[in-house]
Amino acid sequence: MSDWPDRFHAELVRLGVPGPRARRLTEDTAAQAAETTTDPAGLFGPAHLYARHLVTELAAPVGATPPRYASGPVLLTLAGVGKRYRRRTVLSGVDLTVRGGEVAAIVGANGCGKSTLLRICAGLTRPDAGTVHRTRRVGYVPQDGGTAGWLTADEHFALFGAAAGVVPGRARSTGAHLAAKLAWRPEPGQRAQQLSGGTRQKLNLVLGELHSPDLLLLDEPYQGFDQGTYLDFWHQVHAWRDAGRAVVVVTHLLHDLGNVDHVLDLGER
Amino acid sequence: MMSKPWLHGFLDLCLLAMLAERADYGYGLAQRLAAAGVADVPGGTLYPALLRLEEQGLAVPSWAPSESGPRRKYYEITPAGRTVLAEQAAQWSRFRTGVDTLLTAVAPR
Repeated sequence: MSDWPDRFHAELVRLGVPGPRARRLTEDTAAQAAETTTDPAGLFGPAHLYARHLVTELAAPVGATPPRYASGPVLLTLAGVGKRYRRRTVLSGVDLTVRGGEVAAIVGANGCGKSTLLRICAGLTRPDAGTVHRTRRVGYVPQDGGTAGWLTADEHFALFGAAAGVVPGRARSTGAHLAAKLAWRPEPGQRAQQLSGGTRQKLNLVLGELHSPDLLLLDEPYQGFDQGTYLDFWHQVHAWRDAGRAVVVVTHLLHDLGNVDHVLDLGER
Repeated sequence: MMSKPWLHGFLDLCLLAMLAERADYGYGLAQRLAAAGVADVPGGTLYPALLRLEEQGLAVPSWAPSESGPRRKYYEITPAGRTVLAEQAAQWSRFRTGVDTLLTAVAPR
């Protein structure tokens, strides 16, 4: 594709890379692709994603341990949040602050309101008490549902992309690229209802990230994943964090908590 | 072949070591890594690492023509690159000795 360098350059500029440097990186990247006589899209994937990847990689110092990124601006604040269903108090006095570059885990027994709290974070459920402030670009991945059984993965990418103002071609290529990071290559023509539970969760995850949100809200997104994919998933969470995004994960697996910045324990009710 | 998360930590070290042996260009380095059995490194991983070495002054590039096809960007290690290589090589050797110690305790004879 001949406009790959242009799109790559445009994304670098959009990410705040100064003009001369963006031009030099674009020329270098074109020359690298020419060395291998591959077209850039084949070697590096979609232009805008490779631009983001390159900017992140160049910011990292050379060394054996990848760096921890400093915390960024506050992207989610809950203060004194409460929720009742009829006379039953599900949540009360919940406080949580999550910044860019941080991961928060919401833990607690089944039925303690974890999913309700995540829906409140997403703005899908209204709290009865307290305040919620969130950044504008939010990705929400529900525990199940959210996909349409008769649509293919590709059609989901285009549909969810359209909802976020992304053109279909770009939504499809982004979707395919994000799926590959979870070791999944969607089969053309295969409908969501034919996917295994774990793969449908991967579809959910990809859809949540399609519009590159600053805040990701994930409700136990790894149900049905095998061990390898489960590790890929956490690897992905840490990649998001290192790219400066905020991630909130609902989980009941306590051994996940070694690598998170905040743990919000809703306890037993 | 090394799995990806491990490679990420040691790719810089491998690149510096290969450049210390001789200057090379991207595709040549990828082939040397594969031939050594270390990893099949995709372009999207290799080229950012090379650019990073360049920008942090650990390797300097120069353009050279090739007999076939487009010109190539050859990287040469700098004195600063050799210093980092020595540090990281020592780190790697401590790490490898530690892992070997743990493995020999359970290795079949």
